[in-house]
Amino acid sequence: MITNARIRKAVVCLLCLGILSLSVCFLLGPKKDFSENENRYLAKLPALSIGELLSGAYTESLSDWLADHFPQRDFFVGLKSGVEIAGGRKSINHIYVAEDDYLIEPYDRPQNTERITDTLSRFYAKIDTDKVHVSLMLVPTAVTIYQDKLPAYAPSADQLETAYAIYDTTGIPAIDCTERLFDGAAAGQLYYRTDHHWTTLGAYQGYLAYCDAKGIVPVALESLTQQTVTEEFAGTLYSKINDYSHKKDAITIYTNPEDRLIVTYADTGEVTDSLYNLDYVKEKDKYSLFLNNIHPLIEIENVAAASQDELVLIKDSYANSIVPFLVHHYRKIYVFDTRYYRDGPSSFLADHEAVTDILILYNLNTLDNDTGIRGIY
Amino acid sequence: MVFSGIPFLFFFLPLCLILYYAVPFSCKNGALLIFSLIFYAWGEPIYILLMLFSTALDYTNGRLMERFGTTRSRRRFFLCCSICINLSVLAFFKYAGFAVSCINGICGTQFPCPQIHLPVGISFYTFQTMSYIIDLYRGEVKAERSYLTYLTYVSMFPQLVAGPIVRFSDIQEQLHRRQITFAGFEQGLLRFMTGLFKKVLIANQAGALWEEIHTLGAADISVATAWLGALCFTLQLYFDFSAYSDMAIGMGKMLGFCYNENFRYPLAAVSVTDFWRRWHISLSTWFRDYVYIPLGGNRKGVPRHLFNIAVVWFLTGLWHGASWNFILWGIYYGVLLILEKYVWGKAFGKLPLWLRHTCTFLIVVFGFVIFAITDMKELGVYIGLLFSFGADTLIDTHFLWYLYNNGMLLVIACILACPVYPWICRKTASFGRKQQFILSVFAGAVLLLLFVLSTAYMVSDTYNPFLYFRF
Repeated sequence: MITNARIRKAVVCLLCLGILSLSVCFLLGPKKDFSENENRYLAKLPALSIGELLSGAYTESLSDWLADHFPQRDFFVGLKSGVEIAGGRKSINHIYVAEDDYLIEPYDRPQNTERITDTLSRFYAKIDTDKVHVSLMLVPTAVTIYQDKLPAYAPSADQLETAYAIYDTTGIPAIDCTERLFDGAAAGQLYYRTDHHWTTLGAYQGYLAYCDAKGIVPVALESLTQQTVTEEFAGTLYSKINDYSHKKDAITIYTNPEDRLIVTYADTGEVTDSLYNLDYVKEKDKYSLFLNNIHPLIEIENVAAASQDELVLIKDSYANSIVPFLVHHYRKIYVFDTRYYRDGPSSFLADHEAVTDILILYNLNTLDNDTGIRGIY
Repeated sequence: MVFSGIPFLFFFLPLCLILYYAVPFSCKNGALLIFSLIFYAWGEPIYILLMLFSTALDYTNGRLMERFGTTRSRRRFFLCCSICINLSVLAFFKYAGFAVSCINGICGTQFPCPQIHLPVGISFYTFQTMSYIIDLYRGEVKAERSYLTYLTYVSMFPQLVAGPIVRFSDIQEQLHRRQITFAGFEQGLLRFMTGLFKKVLIANQAGALWEEIHTLGAADISVATAWLGALCFTLQLYFDFSAYSDMAIGMGKMLGFCYNENFRYPLAAVSVTDFWRRWHISLSTWFRDYVYIPLGGNRKGVPRHLFNIAVVWFLTGLWHGASWNFILWGIYYGVLLILEKYVWGKAFGKLPLWLRHTCTFLIVVFGFVIFAITDMKELGVYIGLLFSFGADTLIDTHFLWYLYNNGMLLVIACILACPVYPWICRKTASFGRKQQFILSVFAGAVLLLLFVLSTAYMVSDTYNPFLYFRF
């Protein structure tokens, strides 16, 4: 169709120039080890060995290396998303582009419900329920609470069905925060637009549901100190889409001025007086500011607690933002990440007679493939 | 190495072209050979020996036939030698596992199935070398004197792994003497880019949707979704395979070679016969010239003609893969072609044009369902879904969701599958200079944008398999 000879020559030259400049940029440009955006280590230049060369493994790793370190990789990935969104796509990299700038992770049909139920039941059976009160809180994610915002016809499995199935079969007293979350939706943003977690306001709704079930008088939100620590939070869902024009999130944290905290990280031995590590505000992975990212066991003592009760919290990352509300009511909270805590909470309970409550808290989306829950029992 | 990947487009191809253009003509074949061997070894380091063996065999046979083939029976001996060995190699590497499982199935035996990894491109290069030896037997080509030149022909990377099947007779002349011009380079590069866009921006996307629908599971597929899936697979296969041919033809041009066209808008065919004149032309003409016509074609009476068609289409099916569904697919077309020739051909030709297009298209789409699903049980279920035996509803939200998300892609793909491009070229041919200039600027800008976009898709897409690598 390019009938004009000079234009054709120009186009051909530009194409060649484009290809060559990208390959030269690749060869001369700096190589990163880690991609913050994708939260993974990028492929390394493979070492040449005869065995790998013959099996084809060498050229395969070389191809990965080339793709991972391509110049302006983030720009190109973003360009693809941008064009697809403009072309009417509502699902990119298995993330829904929902209304009001929300990115929402769909809920796939669960595969492991039976195994999870089994683990929880066995754990529950071992516990002397006269001495320790156990409760189970499975938090629905944005795909359920914000279903109104989902794009038309977007398929999703039913989270609540899974939740009720697990509550019923295990028999563990359930704390259902669904109603509180639906009601609280008017109060503000309950989930991050760009991340799969709930916001601190969402976590507060969960806390209200917990108080309802336990008969505790909740601390009013107004009496807490509120601080917006960042407005530049681009979370995990943002990374999956990588559409750089997308609106970013603010993170608001709450502290109770009455609390006097001693927070001990068992693995590093570090002791602080805060539930937040604001160093993470400067990094990509800002959600890690809650409870300083991942630790197998964290011991939180509140000298000014309203009771002498002790709580064992078995949880995923969703719970990291509910802990700041719970600390007011417990003298001590032991926070477990069962993915990394080796001995399992059962033996821990045997050693700690003073524990009065156990809360098992997971979000329904990652529950199905959370490896940690297997560590409970 | 796939053409539509970063290693090939940004490293292999530029390096190869720069060196190829830099060396004097006498070294060009050598340079091309070295790059072709690197290209093949990139994915198949071990099986390169098999290719060397296969070419050495046919080369030697060719030389011997020329030297000692003074009588017809001697020539026939060398021909048989070559064909038997070629077909045995192909049979062993491609069909051994399938054959054993068939024997086990029929006789109830328990022979262990050999797990042989299929060497890339073996079906293509075996057919190329066979065309050489048969043409030589018929006296249509002269034996190639230089082994390296012959190896260059067989291993030439543009058409090595997924066709088109280039015959030695078409290219022998060019192997020794060819013009390498900037105009050829221009045309070649633009043709290559067209193929790249088709592959990266359309075939891969349609393929991803087919994959999604295919893995959905019978319970979640409505009749409409099932047909949408079939359409997606058809589009994927057409754009994938014809893109590969475009890229091969384009690279051939850049290197100074001229390959024959392999596709002529097959999805716009008006009958099944017409479809096969437009789809994978190099394969169907291969079977026509080396199987169908030697068997007697249509010149030996009706029963023999039916038999010949049956043989050719059984083989065409089998060539596509070692599995029952491919054989079934071949037979499906064999039967349709016989019916078209002997039963409804005349009546069908009198139908309105749009109806002939539609019927042919539906026949082709349905055919590709048989092609797509290798597991016979699964295939049965899917065909059932297409005709609503088992699907509760005609349309469901899944269908609307897929349509809603991929509407743009499907519309563009369907338009490009029709001969729109040649139509525009015809319409604009009479434009004045100024209009031609504007059109050129516009087309050039679109081309450059598509290049940037294809790069973006290649960088972010991990979904990049070439379907025709299996054959």
